[in-house]
Amino acid sequence: MSMLSISNLEKVFTKGKGEEQLLAIKDFNLEVEEGQFICLLGPSGCGKTTLLRIVAGLEFQTRGTILINGKTITGPGSDRGMVFQEFGLFPWRTARKNIEFGLELRKVPAKERQTISQKYIELVGLKGFEDAHPYELSGGMKQRVGIARALANDPAVLLMDEPFGALDAQTRNLMQKELLRIWKETKKTVLFVTHSVDEACFLADRIVVMTSRPGAIKEIFPIDWERPRDRASVEFANLRKRILAELEREVIAGPTAPINPTDKV
Amino acid sequence: MSTTISSRVRKRLVFFVRKGKFSDFIVMALSIGVFLALWYIASDLLHTVYFPNPSTVFDALMNSFTYSNPQVGVLLMGQNIAASMTRFLEGFALAFIVALPVGLLMGYLRYAYDVGSPIVEIFRPIPPIAWVPFFIILLGPLVGPIWVIFLGAFFPILSNVIFGVRSVDNTLLDAAKTLGAKRITIFSKVVLPYTIPFIMAGVTIGVGIAWMCIVAAEMLGAEGGGVGSYIRVNSDLNNFPAMFAGMVVIAALGLITLGVARLLEKQVSPWRGK
Ligand SMILES: Nc1ncnc2c1ncn2[C@@H]1O[C@H](COP(=O)(O)OP(=O)(O)OP(=O)(O)O)[C@@H](O)[C@H]1O
Ligand SMILES: [Mg+2]
Repeated sequence: MSMLSISNLEKVFTKGKGEEQLLAIKDFNLEVEEGQFICLLGPSGCGKTTLLRIVAGLEFQTRGTILINGKTITGPGSDRGMVFQEFGLFPWRTARKNIEFGLELRKVPAKERQTISQKYIELVGLKGFEDAHPYELSGGMKQRVGIARALANDPAVLLMDEPFGALDAQTRNLMQKELLRIWKETKKTVLFVTHSVDEACFLADRIVVMTSRPGAIKEIFPIDWERPRDRASVEFANLRKRILAELEREVIAGPTAPINPTDKV
Repeated sequence: MSTTISSRVRKRLVFFVRKGKFSDFIVMALSIGVFLALWYIASDLLHTVYFPNPSTVFDALMNSFTYSNPQVGVLLMGQNIAASMTRFLEGFALAFIVALPVGLLMGYLRYAYDVGSPIVEIFRPIPPIAWVPFFIILLGPLVGPIWVIFLGAFFPILSNVIFGVRSVDNTLLDAAKTLGAKRITIFSKVVLPYTIPFIMAGVTIGVGIAWMCIVAAEMLGAEGGGVGSYIRVNSDLNNFPAMFAGMVVIAALGLITLGVARLLEKQVSPWRGK
């Protein structure tokens, strides 16, 4: 049995009094094994964020089921942690207090909180910055806090929505390496949305390329190369080229879902 | 020659403005000095009893603390200040105590907002000062003015709190939810701390308005002393230096309360740097 199982997922957004409907995701099926690193790629607006939000429990699907270790999800829960592109750090809390947020909610005693947050501060490389407020941190540091905060709850699945999208190229490359190191140490299952084919090729065990809206799986590219991967290698370049071509076709094809699916049946 | 002097002066000025607190102080002192000089000159040129010069006003001010004109009343300036301050604190505290929970509720619960905001919109455009006669007739000259101050401070605090709650960053709410927060903990651990700077902004604006309301209410018929009454009575008696002295006191008290509010604002949310 896989750790994360998404079957026949469909999402229709309804605006106003149900007059305007938008089919965002359709027939999405994915099985993810424990500890796997999955990257989601797809044209803008194809439903990647929506998919992640549904898995996180922040949004509800119209049809289909999502199982985590065989259990249906019904809302947000500490078995899933999420990392946001805009970081989403609480500005009035220090790095440490941000990381301890989930622990506080679960009423973990202060001493234990301290021990756990210390562990993740060290894991993500935030030592020396634990008492800084988010406005004092660079983008890369902020996202380290975001990752540590999500991990502190010890979730089974880590959901990351373009977590490095707001970072400059160097920081981004550095954070990719850091993330792989953290992933290896924590053995988390990761669902990682990105716009960068390069990033996906560098990180993923499997790259899931989605169709234009309504988002479904177009193709899955398994990658079993050793890490750290060499971006300059021929195989890396070839894979990148293939995926880029695939994506381009989807972008050109454009969304196929009518805005009002019910009208046009 | 003249260009070099002016550029030198400008450099000096820039230097003063940029350098830390001490030069700030000098610039401020300079600007007050210029203001006083202009006041002197204007008063000299106009040469009328209606417009006394700063030193006459200063004498009247000093005098007001130790001597009370029996025609004016028995209160010394210190007592008048105490009377105004007490009104201010009572009215303001009342406004804060009511506006904060109402604002939080209206900001957080859609339903409360839909019910509350039409009422707020009806009352908001009425200047608090327009309520002075009503409150003084209804509640008397002792208690009435407090409610004018209440109204003056209430709306700025209320609308800032509502705005604060409603502007909470969605990503923060999502983050809190994924970390396990439920509706109540989201309110106490995300919405409330997020709103604190907005509350303080409302307080600062409310302080300014409350202060104007006090003076107006006192001038229009409060009893029990107060700096506003002092201004009013002295102007009725054509005692213009004392009238101006009252205005100076109002300015000073307003600056002090506003300064305290700003200080509190910084103290409460030091993270609001960016
Ligand atoms: N709350 C919502 N209400 C209505 N429509 C929505 C809502 N959220 C998303 N959508 C629509 O659903 C579609 C998918 O959006 P989503 O944000 O998931 O795309 P995405 O793949 O993450 O895009 P991007 O790559 O640009 O981040 C879009 O057409 C979007 O406009
Ligand atoms: Mg997105």
